[in-house]
Amino acid sequence: MSLSLNIPTVETERLILREMRESDLDVIAEFFESDRSHFVGGPKSRGESWRVISGVLGHWLLRGYGMWLVEERVSGQPVGGVGHLNPEGWDEPELGWHLYTGHEGKGYAYEAALAAREYGARHFGLTAPISYIDPANTRSKALAERLGARFEREGEVLGHACHVYRYPETEGAR
Amino acid sequence: MTIDIPVLETKRLVLRGPEAKDYPNFKSTFASYRARFMGGPLNDYETWMLYAAEIGHWQIRGFGMWMIHDKETDKPLGMAGGWKPAKWPEPELAWIIWPETAGRGYALEATDAVRKYLYNTLGWETAVSYLDPKNLDSIRLAERLGAKKDPQAATVDGHDVVYRHPSPAQLKDTQISHGIAMEIANYADPLFKPKGFALD
Repeated sequence: MSLSLNIPTVETERLILREMRESDLDVIAEFFESDRSHFVGGPKSRGESWRVISGVLGHWLLRGYGMWLVEERVSGQPVGGVGHLNPEGWDEPELGWHLYTGHEGKGYAYEAALAAREYGARHFGLTAPISYIDPANTRSKALAERLGARFEREGEVLGHACHVYRYPETEGAR
Repeated sequence: MTIDIPVLETKRLVLRGPEAKDYPNFKSTFASYRARFMGGPLNDYETWMLYAAEIGHWQIRGFGMWMIHDKETDKPLGMAGGWKPAKWPEPELAWIIWPETAGRGYALEATDAVRKYLYNTLGWETAVSYLDPKNLDSIRLAERLGAKKDPQAATVDGHDVVYRHPSPAQLKDTQISHGIAMEIANYADPLFKPKGFALD
């Protein structure tokens, strides 16, 4: 039997969105061990980070969409993660992102999230997703607004209070 | 990109890769006390992500956990397979049987087939099972499979005991493998079939 895992590659001017691989574990583990991950479920041990990678791959198979690893085109370095998340416990599909240490301030999160947003609307039918954002995560709120999202309501995910931002309806499959 | 997951068949069982439709059975066990030896009970999110990770494991390692089904009814009975997430010292032969189907020799039949696949097709030269010392059903199954406690082997987190399976050579046409085959055959077609009720 074969299960097909169709993880598309999406290219932007400076970035490549591609599937996560085991070889990304060092940088992902470093991120989840750091304080930078506390808005996205961290901190986590290296072993838990491995399960993040395998879980992200399985998410693609179960839902048909998921998180990409964001690679810097010029260096081939992983700089973050972006994509659509909808595991059990989520109200609906979410557009999410995070950057690994040392890659902030270059507009990468915006560039990657914009590409993921457009790809999701066109290919996955996710035309008006949400983003769950920790009330204290001002940088992600600013990015969501820059991407066109607006505060919709106070929400909760996995028992954590968060703000739900909603993206305006965009054109879907053509 | 596709993940090729072989289908294994035994006398009573068919083992296939985990699919979306098998998730409810997985969830009912991992959200329950039955999963206490495997890090459970888990909440909705943790259960779903673990199921997704079971599939991702196949993608990363090329082997993983199969879903065990009854060959005739297709009913899901549990899981068995090879398991090696990060932090595992060695590749593991792992299993879990859904509670309502325990006690019928399904785990033995499935793990025996899985072990043959890991040894004969994937070329594993040894296999271990990391067991909770309080998980007597699984310790008993490890022993029926011919595995022995290996006090020298590294554990996952110090709270588990390591059972080492017989090597491929130790299973080739030996008393251990004949005993396993006989036990499986007896579950499938019992020698002694009670005709009435016990009176004492």
